[in-house]
Amino acid sequence: MESSFPTSPTENVPGSVADPTESERLHRNLTPAIAELDDPRGFFRYAVAALVALAVALCGVFMFNAIVDPLSLIGWRIVPPAVETDRSIKLDLIGKLKTNPQVVVLGSSRSRQAEPAFIDKLTGLKTGFNAGVTGGDAADAWVMVRNIAARFPHGKRAYIWFVDYKLATAGINPQLAQDPRSRPYLGNRSVSFSLADVGTYLGFQATDASYRVLKACIEGPCHGHLYYHADGSLKGAALKYLPEDAPSLKAAVAQKLAAVKHQPRSLAPFTSAQLSYFDETLAFMNRHGATPVIVLNPIYPSVYRLLQKRHSQREAEALAELHKLQKRYRFVVVDCSNIHVWGGKARDFNNATHVNRRNMRRMLRYIVAHSDGALTR
Amino acid sequence: MLFNSYVFLFGFLPPVLVGCWALRVKNLRLLFLTLASWAFYAWWDWRFLPLMLSTTTVDYVAALMIHRTDVARRRNAWLIGSLAVNLGLLGYFKYADFFLNSLNGIGKAIGAPVGLPDLHILLPIGISFYTFNSMSYTIDVWRKRVEPTKHILEYSTFVALFPHLIAGPIVRFVDLQPQLRAPRPKLTSDAAGVGAYFFTCGLVKKLLLADQLSPHVDALFSHSSQLGFLGSWAAAVGYSLQLYFDFSGYSDMAVGLAWLIGFRFPQNFNSPYKAVNVSDFWRRWHMSLSAWFRDYLFIPLGGSRRGAKRTVVNLVVTMFLAGLWHGAAWTFVVWGLVHGLALGVHGVLKNLGLTPKSVIVNRVVTFLYVVAAFVIFRAPNLHVAGRILWRMLGTAGVESWSTLQTFMPGRFVVLLLALLVFAQFAPNTWELKLKPRLVYGLVTGVAAAVAVMSIAVPHPFIYFQF
Repeated sequence: MESSFPTSPTENVPGSVADPTESERLHRNLTPAIAELDDPRGFFRYAVAALVALAVALCGVFMFNAIVDPLSLIGWRIVPPAVETDRSIKLDLIGKLKTNPQVVVLGSSRSRQAEPAFIDKLTGLKTGFNAGVTGGDAADAWVMVRNIAARFPHGKRAYIWFVDYKLATAGINPQLAQDPRSRPYLGNRSVSFSLADVGTYLGFQATDASYRVLKACIEGPCHGHLYYHADGSLKGAALKYLPEDAPSLKAAVAQKLAAVKHQPRSLAPFTSAQLSYFDETLAFMNRHGATPVIVLNPIYPSVYRLLQKRHSQREAEALAELHKLQKRYRFVVVDCSNIHVWGGKARDFNNATHVNRRNMRRMLRYIVAHSDGALTR
Repeated sequence: MLFNSYVFLFGFLPPVLVGCWALRVKNLRLLFLTLASWAFYAWWDWRFLPLMLSTTTVDYVAALMIHRTDVARRRNAWLIGSLAVNLGLLGYFKYADFFLNSLNGIGKAIGAPVGLPDLHILLPIGISFYTFNSMSYTIDVWRKRVEPTKHILEYSTFVALFPHLIAGPIVRFVDLQPQLRAPRPKLTSDAAGVGAYFFTCGLVKKLLLADQLSPHVDALFSHSSQLGFLGSWAAAVGYSLQLYFDFSGYSDMAVGLAWLIGFRFPQNFNSPYKAVNVSDFWRRWHMSLSAWFRDYLFIPLGGSRRGAKRTVVNLVVTMFLAGLWHGAAWTFVVWGLVHGLALGVHGVLKNLGLTPKSVIVNRVVTFLYVVAAFVIFRAPNLHVAGRILWRMLGTAGVESWSTLQTFMPGRFVVLLLALLVFAQFAPNTWELKLKPRLVYGLVTGVAAAVAVMSIAVPHPFIYFQF
């Protein structure tokens, strides 16, 4: 029977081949077709042209991205960055505050709809400030809290801090790290432009961001669309441009449902590095006499139902971690995950994770009522 | 260190090229290349460097000792010693946990729990490749097919040379010996051009083709329960193409790097999806590995000289071990067996004159078979593999439009079809006789730049895990 396996030129047993070394060597192809061309000058031109084209293209891409600086890694701010600059805007607004905000809202874009004036009405407090930022994490909360405290060292403040089940990550947003007002509070953990950033600015994502920024500047006003009142709340005009505002709520929810179906049932174990800014911020608030209210963000009802159906442990794990932290720090936990608890409406979501202003107001009523007095004078 | 990383392209490669060609003295150059290759390996995890050094030392000494004597028993003893060390290390690091888990599983299944502990052994990257490189050397010396080198730097460079160290091609000492003995005096423009051409082709294949398929293929395999006929075929074909462009891309990069530092590596892929039967496929796919198994296992087992039945057994045994070489999992074992059986059946049918005469039919049947077998190779377990293969038969019907939109966006479908046509009809990198014109140089440079731009998040090569 003829061998079906790739055959050598001769299939004799080892040792009986006349010159197996030579035959095997001949059998393995070491010379590609291109190498058979005898054109040293052509190859020289080819190699030099390839090298020059590579160098020119990469330098061009880097220069373009470095000048536009779409991710604010360098900090020129010649044009607005591709990502929302609300960290610097909020820090600007804090710098302009005339009176101590008696209530401060912290969190991510999911907290952005909270209006300090509405909270004031509910609590009887006089002034407030929304310090929530896009992708806001514990490091952002830490910097905002410290900046407000630095501005009003003797002022007393209450805090409402919106968090997801993960509570916090160890990451620091590059814009936050770059801002000079953050550096005193981030210490060594703040960053400057590094070699890794060179790689970022050689990449497609940054180039695409630069292109979008420039296109937006050419086609329209060269500034962002998110406008804030002096108290950090969104201006009415900005509501039309919220990045979280999904064109189709149904599609956004379907996408979220698909993602949840394959999400692990449990959170990754909480680590001290992940919670370091969270811990520091809580400790700082407690030291200054505040009992913050930690709010677990609301979840779209069908997504929440799916999590329950899949016996997701995430909510229970987040609450357990918070209860563990309550042994060390003083704070109130209000779980708003299930919108039916606080009378939320499924239609009043901007997407599967962000509530609109109507739902936010409903939620704030519930939060204030369940804050164990932490939000009242 | 990945070839497709900034640290390799801008931190490692330029000084190595400069150092390699600046050192004209053979010993200095080999020492430099050895040290650079060790640094390349240690960048991943320095703790495993001694493992590679011990393999190098054992085989270097064993080969010299085998050569020194004509007494068969001594020669055999040294060979067995060398093989025992190599296979022992490979077995421990790669298969110990697999066998313990399998024993636990068998014990549980028959109601006699064994309770063996999981050792959690970390797999040293590239161990399958450099072990096979090194083993082929001692076996060739024992067979008197190659004269051993007394020059330790020649041997250490052969084992560690960074372009082939992590994922092949599996080179033979016989191929590299003349190149190590008399290194090329300077980098010629031809070699620079060929090296740049291969390296760029590899970068483009990996970063702009394979990595673009990867997220879609991953999504399809991880949502296998939602797939119907189209989705399961897209998963199978998508993965087959991803694997081909990923691994042949790596091989091209290895060949290109070898040319740039003055070496020539053997061809590892020859348009495998153009194969007209399974045997032909193995002459075109991962050629350096299939040649290794042919020369060091299949032929010593008796090859095809001992009758049809024995040939089939030899093929199945060889492919079983080739499957196991790819990884310590039952999916790889079954994949190897499936190919072994196919090779055997093909041989029998061919002898009986029952194979189709039409080249088109042969190509289509072979491609479909290979693609279906890759489902077993890629699936996380045999259960998922079975589910996808079952659905490829149309048993779950066709997906809803929304499922298709979710898992098979237009961009993925277009890329899949384009690559399918490309893999079936276009010449491969070894066949292409691109004239070294200025304009092609510019195109090569721009293509390399575009590939480099997509490095931001490096994706490891699939074959690194083997």
